[in-house]
Amino acid sequence: MTHRAGHYAWAPYIFVAPFVLTFLTFTGYPIVLSVQMAFQQNAGPRVAEYVGLQNFAWMLEDPDFWKAIRNTLVFAAASVLIQLPAALGLAMLLNNRIVRAPAVWRMIFFAPVLVGLPFVAVLAGLIFEKNTGLLNVTLHAWLGFDPEFPWLQEYIMLALIIAAFWMYVGFNMVYFLAALQNVRPELLEAAAVDGARAWHRFIHVTIPAIRPVTTFVVFLSLIGSFQLFELPYLLLNNSGGPDNQGLTVVMYLYQQGFDRGDLGYASAVGWVVALVLLGFAVIQRMIGRGDEERT
Amino acid sequence: MKFRNLTESGPLSGGAWVITLIAVISGVIVITRPAAQRQGMAFWTFTRHHARMYASQIDRWNAGGYLPVDLQVIDAAAMVRRTLAGFWAQTPTADMIEVERGAIGRFVACPLDDVGFVDLTNVLARDGIVEQINPPSFSPWRSRGHVFGLPHDVHPVVLCYRADLVEGIGVDVGRIQTWDDFSRVMGPLIRDLDDDGRPDRYLLNLWYTDTNAINTLILQAGGGTFDANGNSLVACEANARVVATVVSWCVGPDRIAIDAPEFSPSGNKLRLDGRVIASLMPDWLAGVWMNDLPQLGGKLKLMPLPAWEPGGRRTSVWGGTMIGFPKDAQHFDQSWAFATHLYLSAQLAEELFETNHIISPVVALWDEPFYDQPNTYFSGQHSGRVFIDQAPFVPERTSSPFRGAALSRIGEAVNALRRFAESRGIHAADALLPEARRQLASANNRLTSEIQRNVFLAEPAP
Repeated sequence: MTHRAGHYAWAPYIFVAPFVLTFLTFTGYPIVLSVQMAFQQNAGPRVAEYVGLQNFAWMLEDPDFWKAIRNTLVFAAASVLIQLPAALGLAMLLNNRIVRAPAVWRMIFFAPVLVGLPFVAVLAGLIFEKNTGLLNVTLHAWLGFDPEFPWLQEYIMLALIIAAFWMYVGFNMVYFLAALQNVRPELLEAAAVDGARAWHRFIHVTIPAIRPVTTFVVFLSLIGSFQLFELPYLLLNNSGGPDNQGLTVVMYLYQQGFDRGDLGYASAVGWVVALVLLGFAVIQRMIGRGDEERT
Repeated sequence: MKFRNLTESGPLSGGAWVITLIAVISGVIVITRPAAQRQGMAFWTFTRHHARMYASQIDRWNAGGYLPVDLQVIDAAAMVRRTLAGFWAQTPTADMIEVERGAIGRFVACPLDDVGFVDLTNVLARDGIVEQINPPSFSPWRSRGHVFGLPHDVHPVVLCYRADLVEGIGVDVGRIQTWDDFSRVMGPLIRDLDDDGRPDRYLLNLWYTDTNAINTLILQAGGGTFDANGNSLVACEANARVVATVVSWCVGPDRIAIDAPEFSPSGNKLRLDGRVIASLMPDWLAGVWMNDLPQLGGKLKLMPLPAWEPGGRRTSVWGGTMIGFPKDAQHFDQSWAFATHLYLSAQLAEELFETNHIISPVVALWDEPFYDQPNTYFSGQHSGRVFIDQAPFVPERTSSPFRGAALSRIGEAVNALRRFAESRGIHAADALLPEARRQLASANNRLTSEIQRNVFLAEPAP
């Protein structure tokens, strides 16, 4: 018995070996390599030259990088400050008995997620067209709005924020709805009995109760914002748009690495983005731990 | 406890042993099976239009007992990525690859020795092809003095206008020699069609965000992004003049331009609605319109581009394609024989013109009668001849790896100038010229920094 157990002591290692090998090959090794590449300049993967910290210095110097950072932050701010409150509002409406057929509404708001980002991007492109786009034509007919309003020429971030709102508001709404449905009704009833009005019940009972989910959704949105790529890439025809107004950090990384072939510089940008995201994750963890301790 | 039971029955259950056995057997089969042998020569193209044209030529070639050609149509963006990935990883691509003008910079953005395509400079001279093809057609495929592709086309640009509307109010286009003439003579055609107080019809399809169209005008004016030696032209006077003029066309009370993008439903609707009088038209775009906008048949005419100064160049160039030969391909001699047979043949030239309205780069073929047929789409004009008359004068271009960056910087300068014009209420081209120079100088400084940062592309041109 002892002999057999000792004989098969390596069994667990065999079980984890496929994952470990796959992880080391496709994740661990590239991560280590990308650290090395962040200090190189490349013309494709085979042509490389060590440049020390020049990639990071150039990043600080390059206006396009800062434009990408600014655009990404604007998008992230809009996601957190506009999209999430709207998602919470929709969730509260659907959580209220006055709304008939909430499942239908939930489906309607969630539908853009089901059809997918490329479809939303193509539709948004048609909607935001000058002269013939649905938005400008409608606004011109109803309000005398300028039919040549340049959504995709001069107001690209606004167009992206609207398109992303359409895409993700239903997605975030589902999280909030689940959280709201888990708020203990006796707490709300007790607060009502104590004379708390609806607003106070919302601030002092509902918000604290959904705080863990809110924290999670906020950081999910922030991280998602820093990964924004497909929507502007498709909406702006594989570019950052005029004047790079729609350039995001990940698009910038992609352009440098795969359009220009400088995988070293792209690695450096990737590490900066990774560190920013790591910072967000740490903050979320700290807030989450605080919530757990309070609970 | 469960773990102990597991170890007692062996490290793997019976099912796990079966899975492991299958994995090992299939792994051995995959590793030992010889790679699929490619039949003949692979030829990648990025458009079905080209594939359709080449089909009969390829059939004849394959029936002639030569090494057969296997033509594959791959989406342009996918093909560029696949080709680059192949070059980078040294994995097989194709024997011949058609590359579009906008992508060539990515293939030459490395030391010359690392360019994945065969350097054709000596082969072109050896076979006398340099003398057969219109000289400017080589320029987009030349990097640091070396040519990496066999040119497919010339792509001269002329002006296409709504003859029904222009002649309807008695405008004589013969009076238009320069862009200033164009604005003045065509001016009465700007109209408010729906009485809402805003003009709806404008003279020219062009917008300050359309970098390709602006580049076409810049090339016509003698400017550009880089000269043949790789020196930046971004801040040159010709560029400044064009940039100032383009902005003056797009903003202010004397605006003449409208944004009607090609290949878009919205742009096509504006064209069909008669809201665009004239468009810059390379030969390939004429073919696109003939296919996509048959409703405009008989309403259009072509004329040489208005010049930037009296007696100046009346054409420009837009787009282009080449065949490149990957260095790791196994059949260069046969591929080269096929490619020259294809691109230099009179039959293909005729088919190219008949189906896509593209004229051949082979100068000797320009006298072929099919170019002189009247074209009902362009109101009976000999449209082929209109393009061929301009073909010898198309400007030279560059395939600098930094061309894309240079165009982006010029685009930013145009945008900055547009903002300046709108904020200051300055709309005349002459008044915008000093600021255009300043913006382009700033753009040039940024571009220079980018170029200086690149440690691989310091090789001087011969």
